[in-house]
Amino acid sequence: MAGIQLVNVSKRWGNVTGVRNFDLTIEDREFLVLLGPSGCGKSTTMRMIAGLEDVSEGEIRIGDRVVNKLEPKDRDISMVFQSYGLYPNMTVYENIRFPLKVRKVPKEEQHDRVMAAAEMVGLTDLLERRPAALSGGQRQRVALGRAIVREPTVFLMDEPLSNLDAKLRVSTRAQIKNLQYRLKTTTIYVTHDQIEAMTLADRVVVMNRGVIQQIATPTEIYDNPANTFVAGFIGSPAMNLVEGDISDGVFTTENMRLEGLPHTASGRVILGFRAEDATVTEGEGAITGSIYALELLGEASMAAVHVGGELVNIKAGKAFRADIGDKLTADIRPRLCHLFDRETGERISERT
Amino acid sequence: MADAVMRRNTTQAIVATSLLAIWLVLAAFPFFWTLWGSFKVEADFFSRQSWWNAISGPATMLQTGGHFTLDGYRGAWIQREFWRAALNTGIVTVCVTTISLVFGTLGGYALSRSTRRYTFWILIAALVFRAMPHITLVAGYLLPFFKLNIWGVLPTAIVVLVAINQPFTIWMLHSFFMSIPKDLDESAMVDGCTRFQAFRWVVIPVMWPGVITTGLFSFLLSYNDFAVTAMLLNQDNQTMVPKINSFLGTVQTEGTIMYAVAAVVSATVPLFMLVMFFQRQIVSGLTAGAVKG
Ligand SMILES: Nc1ncnc2c1ncn2[C@@H]1O[C@H](COP(=O)(O)OP(=O)(O)O)[C@@H](O)[C@H]1O
Ligand SMILES: [Mg+2]
Repeated sequence: MAGIQLVNVSKRWGNVTGVRNFDLTIEDREFLVLLGPSGCGKSTTMRMIAGLEDVSEGEIRIGDRVVNKLEPKDRDISMVFQSYGLYPNMTVYENIRFPLKVRKVPKEEQHDRVMAAAEMVGLTDLLERRPAALSGGQRQRVALGRAIVREPTVFLMDEPLSNLDAKLRVSTRAQIKNLQYRLKTTTIYVTHDQIEAMTLADRVVVMNRGVIQQIATPTEIYDNPANTFVAGFIGSPAMNLVEGDISDGVFTTENMRLEGLPHTASGRVILGFRAEDATVTEGEGAITGSIYALELLGEASMAAVHVGGELVNIKAGKAFRADIGDKLTADIRPRLCHLFDRETGERISERT
Repeated sequence: MADAVMRRNTTQAIVATSLLAIWLVLAAFPFFWTLWGSFKVEADFFSRQSWWNAISGPATMLQTGGHFTLDGYRGAWIQREFWRAALNTGIVTVCVTTISLVFGTLGGYALSRSTRRYTFWILIAALVFRAMPHITLVAGYLLPFFKLNIWGVLPTAIVVLVAINQPFTIWMLHSFFMSIPKDLDESAMVDGCTRFQAFRWVVIPVMWPGVITTGLFSFLLSYNDFAVTAMLLNQDNQTMVPKINSFLGTVQTEGTIMYAVAAVVSATVPLFMLVMFFQRQIVSGLTAGAVKG
């Protein structure tokens, strides 16, 4: 068991920067998720922790050891790859046993541990098969079994669910969460899927272009995004972001006028609010516009309205019906709004 | 409907089979002709009167008293010591194949996994050397070999053949290794292997078809080589192909040409057996299903 520390870690290839000044402390037993769009440096960060990629700058510690110069095998980690990386010439049993065999665990112990791991991931009936004769979900479980059999100090998982179909993804997600809870092993999990991040993580690290945007719990990330990137990335639909002017706590832009905002900000800003934080009203409201589109989601309806040059989503009750072009009025509680700097995108309002 | 489909399938099958049969006859005929002829005497196989003599063999009957004779083989193998050439070929091919494969797998693997840019130039250089006519290598080395007094012996020929073969081996194995996902070695290294152990226990086992195919090509190159072995080996150390050539070169002596025919057959048979034996590995795709779902 061990925590992990990344101190000012950067990765460069020539003049391409993959990861920049990455600072992160991961607690022992924590489930940490690296979240970000494709190409933002999540895998690179994980591979540096695994030792599969050299660190250009900075320091990585696992437990109290600096591991920068250690081979992957000496870092006491195990990893689940996106493509699983199963050994095609070995059976499921041999695949799971491989880490033990390589590390010269006593023979008698090997069998018991393989069986225990196979039991945990529900593979006891398939031990004699080869990977080619398994379904995607089963292969995924072999990869998991191989990762847990050695009881390492850290699990690394790089988009382990992305090759599964939607339904299997949900059940395997639950299985991973449960496994981690039982094994209490520090886990770093990479994904571009925010639902996975929200459901699995103790803490989420949101990344963009190799730079950390925010490190916080899923709730905090959802409720108080640190900047416009996080606000626009998290949630479905993502937070509405509209540009406008603020003075004396009044925000104005095309089709919108909202009072009661903090007096600290003034000038040109970006205001963010979530679709579900706006309520459709009769008569007066902060937003007045004509409906551009109306989507029926089943449990609610989503109306789109032009505000400040952006298309803004407003969640209405499931009974709400209107035609395109109809007038819509919606109100927002100022307390649930977020203000961001127009230039830097950084949050300027207090946390809610 | 089903009938029509079936009928069409049958017609297709017939056409395909007959085309294959024709091709097989065309391809195999020279071998069988030579094989048959090798058991006749020269007067039949190279008869001036009628090519049919090679089939019926009246002169063979006359000269030896039987329909078939082993004279050609006896002459080549015992009298002219073709067994020595066979042995030399064995040594040369085994050494060339082994050395080429050792360096080829290690080099091809390293190049396939390296992220450096110079790997590209190494591969291009390999291609250039591969494209050069073999004889250029030999011509350039001939004088130094004389000076160093290493002309005429097997190790010299082996070194030169390896040099000729290596670029191709590396190139070919490199592309085989490229087809094996990097995740496989990385999994192994995280699981506790050193880079070399990952190579040895995880990558090579899925590489067998590639190694065997490349090995076979190396084998064939050294087995069939004439340019290098003819120039670099002295009379005693000759391999089979130059030896056969020397039989052909002494046609004045009645009979030696049949030694050549017998020797050709002797040299061809192992090739057949080799390809038959390894055909399964050559076409197999072990990695199927290894990576993606
Ligand atoms: N070997 C490499 N050489 C140059 N650039 C690379 C290399 N590997 C990755 N990159 C770049 O680094 C960035 C981050 O990649 P990666 O960590 O794989 O992103 P992801 O978040 O999708 O996992 C990408 O823009 C990618 O193009
Ligand atoms: Mg990735």
